[in-house]
Amino acid sequence: MEKKILTKYIDDPNQVNIDTYLSHGGYKAFEKALKEMKPSEVIEEVKKSGVRGRGGAGFPAGVKWGFIPKDNPKPRYLVCNGDESEPGTCKDRVLMESDPHGVVEGMAISSFAIGSHLAFIYIRGEFAYPARMMEKAVEEAYEKGYLGKNILGTGYDLDMIVHTGGGAYICGEESSQLNSIEGERGMSRMRPPFPAVAGLYACPTIVNNVETLAAVPFIINNGGDWYASMGTEKSKGTKLFSLSGHVKNPGHYELEMGTPLSVLINDLGGGMLDGHKLKAIIPGGSSTPMLLPDQIDVKLDYESLAEAGSMLGSGAVIVIDERTCMVWVAERLIHFYRHESCGKCTPCRDGTGWLEQLISRIERGEGQPGDIEKIESLCGNIMGRTVCPLGDAAVMPIESSIKLFRDEWEYHIQNKKCMVKSEFAFK
Amino acid sequence: MSDDSNNINLTIDGQQVSVPRGTTVLEAARSIRIDIPTFCWHPKLKPAGSCRICYVEIEKARTLMVSCATDVAPDMVVHTASEKVLQGRKAVLEFMLMNHPLDCPTCDKGGECDLQNLTFKHGVDDSRFDFKKYRHIRDKNSTFDDLRIGSEIIRNQNRCILCYKCVRANKDIFGEQDLGAYQRGNITEINTPPGEQVDSLYSGNLVEICPVGALTNTDWRYKIRVWNTQTVDSVCSYCADGCNLTLWKDKQKIYRATSRRNDNIDEGWICDVGRYGYQVPMAEDRLTTPLIKKGDSQVPATWEEALGLISEKFKKIKDERGGVCIGGLISPNLDSLSLHTFSKFFRMVLNSNNVDFRAGYKMLPEKADDLYSKLTSLPFKISDIEKSDLILVLDSDLTKEHPIVNLRVRKAVTQKNASLFALNPITTQTGGIATDEMVYNIGTLHALLNGLCISLIDQNLTQYENARDLKNKLSPNTIEEASRISGIDVARINSLAKAITEVKNISLIAGELLTSSINREQLSGAIINLCLLAGIFDKGQVGVLSQAANSKGAEKLAVMPHLSERSILKIKQIWDKYPDNDGLALDQMIRSSIKEELDSMFIIGSNLMLEYPDGAVVKEGLEKLDFLVVADICETETTQIADVVLPLSTWVEYDSSFVNLESVEQKFKAAIKPVGFSLPAYQIINKIAQGFKTPLFETIDELIPEIKTLLQPDDSQNSFENCAIEYIEEKQNPEFEIPLLITNELHHFGYFTEKSNSLSNFCSEAFLEISPGLAEKLDVKNGSIIRVESEVGKINLPVKISEYIDNDVVRAYRNFSASPVNILQMRKRNIDRVKLTVVEGT
Ligand SMILES: Cc1cc2nc3c(=O)[nH]c(=O)nc-3n(C[C@H](O)[C@H](O)[C@H](O)COP(=O)(O)O)c2cc1C
Ligand code: SF4
Ligand code: SF4
Ligand code: SF4
Ligand code: FES
Repeated sequence: MEKKILTKYIDDPNQVNIDTYLSHGGYKAFEKALKEMKPSEVIEEVKKSGVRGRGGAGFPAGVKWGFIPKDNPKPRYLVCNGDESEPGTCKDRVLMESDPHGVVEGMAISSFAIGSHLAFIYIRGEFAYPARMMEKAVEEAYEKGYLGKNILGTGYDLDMIVHTGGGAYICGEESSQLNSIEGERGMSRMRPPFPAVAGLYACPTIVNNVETLAAVPFIINNGGDWYASMGTEKSKGTKLFSLSGHVKNPGHYELEMGTPLSVLINDLGGGMLDGHKLKAIIPGGSSTPMLLPDQIDVKLDYESLAEAGSMLGSGAVIVIDERTCMVWVAERLIHFYRHESCGKCTPCRDGTGWLEQLISRIERGEGQPGDIEKIESLCGNIMGRTVCPLGDAAVMPIESSIKLFRDEWEYHIQNKKCMVKSEFAFK
Repeated sequence: MSDDSNNINLTIDGQQVSVPRGTTVLEAARSIRIDIPTFCWHPKLKPAGSCRICYVEIEKARTLMVSCATDVAPDMVVHTASEKVLQGRKAVLEFMLMNHPLDCPTCDKGGECDLQNLTFKHGVDDSRFDFKKYRHIRDKNSTFDDLRIGSEIIRNQNRCILCYKCVRANKDIFGEQDLGAYQRGNITEINTPPGEQVDSLYSGNLVEICPVGALTNTDWRYKIRVWNTQTVDSVCSYCADGCNLTLWKDKQKIYRATSRRNDNIDEGWICDVGRYGYQVPMAEDRLTTPLIKKGDSQVPATWEEALGLISEKFKKIKDERGGVCIGGLISPNLDSLSLHTFSKFFRMVLNSNNVDFRAGYKMLPEKADDLYSKLTSLPFKISDIEKSDLILVLDSDLTKEHPIVNLRVRKAVTQKNASLFALNPITTQTGGIATDEMVYNIGTLHALLNGLCISLIDQNLTQYENARDLKNKLSPNTIEEASRISGIDVARINSLAKAITEVKNISLIAGELLTSSINREQLSGAIINLCLLAGIFDKGQVGVLSQAANSKGAEKLAVMPHLSERSILKIKQIWDKYPDNDGLALDQMIRSSIKEELDSMFIIGSNLMLEYPDGAVVKEGLEKLDFLVVADICETETTQIADVVLPLSTWVEYDSSFVNLESVEQKFKAAIKPVGFSLPAYQIINKIAQGFKTPLFETIDELIPEIKTLLQPDDSQNSFENCAIEYIEEKQNPEFEIPLLITNELHHFGYFTEKSNSLSNFCSEAFLEISPGLAEKLDVKNGSIIRVESEVGKINLPVKISEYIDNDVVRAYRNFSASPVNILQMRKRNIDRVKLTVVEGT
């Protein structure tokens, strides 16, 4: 069932106060790192834990930290990514608003490990309350001497800045986020150089997701081996899943990696809403390919989901029941991605616009023969050809919807109406 | 296999190529003449990788790669025309054309549009896009979606392919913030912040860089199609940077000027003065025939009549009073042939050394081999600026004086990590990126430099052996005193001294405020001291920059009365003789005229009445002359009082050359025939010489070797000795206490650029720039009229409040004939001072 590590005290309303946090053993890990460990040892421990980036791509955190060039004299920065805008995802928010000191401590330890003296947490603009909680936590940490100059008398200095965004999905993408912090328009940068080499203000920068960093204090307290003892061979530890859609008990659940999807949906989520039949599952946030009902026993970990043809992504599981039109789902999603494309590169910028026009005319019952093939061809012209992964993210769910539910798409075009709904959602 | 660590071998379309590490695949391919199309790539901008047209296939890579932003790697195998690449390119074009209006027949870019060209080459004829095209509508009642985003720039967003080149160049190269991308995704638009305009000095480059017709210039729009024009290689005739231009013309009309990229100088950028300056020769009111003064009016005459009269008068003066009773002034914006011929006429025909080009300087030196000339003769290269770790700018508002040098300084600082220190009496735009911009009390630069020298000595930061000896020659001679006088903290002076000694390569740049100052010699001496102490002569370059397109040429071609031994030798070498009299500098000519010792002046291309920094004195001097000959392109305040006026051709009407501030001679070609009966200056001069039966040349070819000899660089090394520098506070009349600076306005150079419509659209009226603090004190707003009054003159000017001005200084501009601000100036005053009275608040 649930394995509450990051979320252990999430239901304690006082956890947001530093005293309560301290009484639960808070900032012990930071103290340990500062007083008993060298930065390289912290990195080693995190490498050993095998914790992978929880922002979507699943890149091993310790390995990323190791990419900072040793001989670069410029300052280094840590950026904690709290932009959380992928439809369906709502896990970082919980951590930031209910256990903000856990995030601060994770950022502090990680900053120490990579040799940074200035850390930013970038929070999406709509998250006013989580941002307030984070600000309060940072303030308290300064007051208690966990941030600022000469922390705990160790000579280590660290400042932390809470930065709120303006409400653009693309600012969750790390290089756009760096532009946004610099005061530029949120637009993705070409890579290389990767942020670890030249990121914020062209200085070495590590960007990690909130959940990734929140795991770090537990790894330092209990050891990398302890963390690695949980989960599967390639997916260690626990992960927060955001369950939404047509289930009885939507919400966030912390599970050990490798827990079957059925446990999440049926045991924790209470099964399908109003007893309807399951039609499809988007397992890792809106940009991941869909799964079919017969795949409900797939294990929730990086490798199993890849094998099943999808991705763990950010861990946002969206459950779709039989009443839902898959063309309509695709239309909602492409509308989102078209709207959120930053406009930098041609295939994503113009391609998403064209796709939205095509898909919504099919949805409206005005589709033309050949439209599906055209959509597939356009998806091919976007996939793998853009500056940042938003382009891929936009086309993956569409391709998968067509692949798995082609009959619905064809029905829409041939019969000028929907297979599952008597009325069109948008007329 | 890679042969050495710096070169990388790879294969492109089956061809082996070896290129330096860090080269992009695009550059590698182009180096072996394999063409890969691009839109968003630009040789001087960081790659953005946005347009995606430059895809290539690289073996082992999962996806198509953009060649403009992919560095070569050892043993890479690249295909630039595989089926996958061609498909990818087509797909990108298809996306770009989706919403593109395809209004090529009415688009000014037609014929030179990258999108049009690439579509012909790679595109599909039949679009699969069967929706209505998206329109960025500006005005529902208009058929066109044009939006003026700058004085001279029209935007049509529908045509924009969002390559972001304009935005990137504007920010990364020009350091401007007035253009950005708004909205997001496929409705992104290029626009200015609300209420602002793209009005920087570099704005025209944004149009030039746009690959499509999204940005167009008002001057070129709808006037002509590109295929109906011919191009001519030209050079800018305004400032001394010497940008290379292409003029686009048909018959007798020039339609536009664009950059002709020269990486040693301009790197493909030009300022708006150079871009729109071609409109001056196109002015409606050009002088087309000679005029002779008859009674109170000037009446048209033939060249024969005019030349006959001039020869007769000059001959008479020469025979009766001597050639030294005629003075000559020629504009440094004129070409080398003309400058040279002018000097030759005075020296060989009139046997006089009375030649000058320095109309705007106060108190010219009266002997040769002054310190200032020694400094200006040092070699300086614009491209070497970016090799510097530290750049020191003294007394120069670089953006206004040397727009292209300014860009190189920006590049060194923003792209190559150089540090910049700017020492100026006002805040400058360039100073915005400085490590420290020291705004010193006006007129105290040599005291500040003394402080810097003392700091080097006291902190033991110098290897100069005579340091102690030098210190005794300085006044002020303590850093505290220097700090008090200049108003710059001791700590800042000390840290600049430290910074100077810590770096390997320095560029020291000084500008107009120094050049035109009475304290020119003391300032030059102070710079020499600093260079000796900090070893700058050995580790970098010193550029006391000349101002106009051919000022450097004028110096080298000896258009000055007092010449160094070396120049005299050269002249004797080419002409066998040299007048053995002391020549008069312009200053002295005017004084001699007032004293009635000088009878006549021959002025070419200079509106001395407005240019001379003492309006009252110049008026008296010129009016007292018996015989004044003025050649110019249009009527001016100076031609109005001339006895004979000659119509002068402009640089677009003949072949010749300019010598830029680096002493590089650059040839330019005629674009059109001389307007009306006008003639190039060198022909006018020669025709007058013919009247003396001593023609200066039969064909121009005879002059070329002479010019070549004079322009040859001196190989003899200048040696420098330290100098005594004393700061003496200038006495002032307490009634007039506000210091007045007079410079060129941002979009103007000299007094003729107001004839360019485009440049006048940026600014057409003189104004007084004052600080917000002073504005508050006087209770005035932008546009309020202020009477500006000095001891010698007064003038009313509208106010403009500027963040660049510090409290106690005001600035006025010399470019507007309706507001001759030189009437406020006094030739003997180092700092002109005024009092201000509000005439009309708003
Ligand atoms: C379009 C787009 C949106 C993204 N949004 C987020 C986000 O909201 N939060 C996040 O942590 N990572 C997001 N990412 C991933 C980040 O770019 C980055 O990989 C991540 O923050 C790295 O942290 P991690 O290694 O800890 O996962 C996004 C990526 C893309 C392409
Ligand atoms: S893929 Fe989309 S979001 Fe990413 S850089 Fe290109 S246009 Fe911007
Ligand atoms: S206006 Fe021109 S230069 Fe600017 S983004 Fe559009 S196409 Fe590119
Ligand atoms: S005025 Fe100077 S900077 Fe401007 S184009 Fe001419 S030479 Fe270049
Ligand atoms: S030219 Fe390479 S992406 Fe535009």
